[in-house]
Amino acid sequence: MRLSGKKAIVTGGTQGIGRGIVEAFIIEGASVTTCGRSTAPADLPEQCLYHQLDVSDPIAVNAFSDTFRQIDILVNNAGVQVEKTVTQSTDDDWDLVMGANARGVFNMCRSFIPKTSDGGSIINIGSISGNVADPAMALYNASKSFVHGLTRSIAVDHGPHIRCNAICPGWIETGMLEAGFATANDPQSAMNDALARHPVRRFGKPTDIAAAAVWLASDEASFATGQLFTIDGGMTASSPLNPALF
Amino acid sequence: MKLNGKVALVTGGRGGIGRAVVKRLMKEGAAVYAADLTENGSLPTHDNDGSHFVQLDVSSEEGAMSVMSGISNEHGKLDILVNAAGIEIEKTIEQTTLEEWNQSFAVNVTGTFLTSKHSLPLLRKAAASGTTASIINFGSYDGFIADPGLAAYCATKGAVHALTRAMACDHGPEGIRVNAICPGYIDTPMLQSFFEGEGSGGDGGDIDSLQQAVRDVHPMRTYGTPEDIANLVNWLASDEARYASGQLWVLDGGLSAQVQQMRL
Repeated sequence: MRLSGKKAIVTGGTQGIGRGIVEAFIIEGASVTTCGRSTAPADLPEQCLYHQLDVSDPIAVNAFSDTFRQIDILVNNAGVQVEKTVTQSTDDDWDLVMGANARGVFNMCRSFIPKTSDGGSIINIGSISGNVADPAMALYNASKSFVHGLTRSIAVDHGPHIRCNAICPGWIETGMLEAGFATANDPQSAMNDALARHPVRRFGKPTDIAAAAVWLASDEASFATGQLFTIDGGMTASSPLNPALF
Repeated sequence: MKLNGKVALVTGGRGGIGRAVVKRLMKEGAAVYAADLTENGSLPTHDNDGSHFVQLDVSSEEGAMSVMSGISNEHGKLDILVNAAGIEIEKTIEQTTLEEWNQSFAVNVTGTFLTSKHSLPLLRKAAASGTTASIINFGSYDGFIADPGLAAYCATKGAVHALTRAMACDHGPEGIRVNAICPGYIDTPMLQSFFEGEGSGGDGGDIDSLQQAVRDVHPMRTYGTPEDIANLVNWLASDEARYASGQLWVLDGGLSAQVQQMRL
């Protein structure tokens, strides 16, 4: 077990990638607390502690951190997306997306860095969308670039005591992905086209991201800091030209 | 990450980083071939690490074919290829001779090309067993940001980065993942040679204080060790990394995350 004896906090661990990370951390021996805006889901693993929390609220995050003496691992996974261009986005959209994805990560880091043990690891979930733009996802793309920049800043300012890296997932099979295909004109051909853009010919699973999180959280990664690690099945290594052209 | 039942080939397997990679892959249960120019590689001596040594000049196509033929006869497949062989000419382009330039590309780029090309049939056989096969190239942080007096080296590493993405794109559908590790400053004979070399930008004075200054510019306040690199090779080679492909994995203690420039 690679994380035994370590205390971890994973934001947004009720579903999707966050849930995958919670489950992997438990298997590796960490004691895990997660949080979300709703009440605890019934199917949360029983070893996992749950705290109802909106990470965009700095006072609530501070109160949450007051209940911890020390942690070893912080995973900032909680995030939301709004599928709009800049001109379509409202002030409420800004508050929602930047509140959770940008301010939420900042709030958690500000409150928990002082509680993080020497050799501790912060893992932020960035996105390939922070490096290359997904269409009609303006605020989401921008919020993930914020996460990437903050990741480097924390690594530079708080090393050597704390390491900080980001994982940039590509297309991962979560409810979000399936909902996206459902809105296409021809969902099956949209999915085939998307698969053809992945050299590994499949979409990712939450366990694929969790595997990288375990490695970055472990002492094996003790020289890895300040980096953005993309796990996307090779998608962004390939030219974005439509595969149907070839 | 256990690698039981997997077969690995590490070029430059008797060099500073290569030895640590070989040792780690063996510890995880893989059958490992260590390929290098000589049994001692870039170090003065060699302890028998239990790996299968094969003499190989990676710039020789006959050499690459002969090594693959040997692995094919003994195991019939290859799961993991680590292209760690590399050389570094410590010169600006003005000082670099055409022969040195060609030699840098022959080892760092052509070597990666030849070994990868001729291992594909064996990698496909490994992938056919239901897991993924993994090629791990060695890029460098110098493929993104230049160190002074290493012109040919920087150029070869940029080429390895682009080749890594191209190979991932072409061979992913066959179950072959391709990634590059981009080390920063790692304590190896190559690094020590860089510190001692005239092209390092050093003032030729106290090497210890130069080394300390370089450590201090890292957010982690230290260099990496070959074992740090071997840790990532192990993960990328393992089935845990089955969705990781086409990426350049910078492992540099945070050095290139900061804007700050080295003052050597």
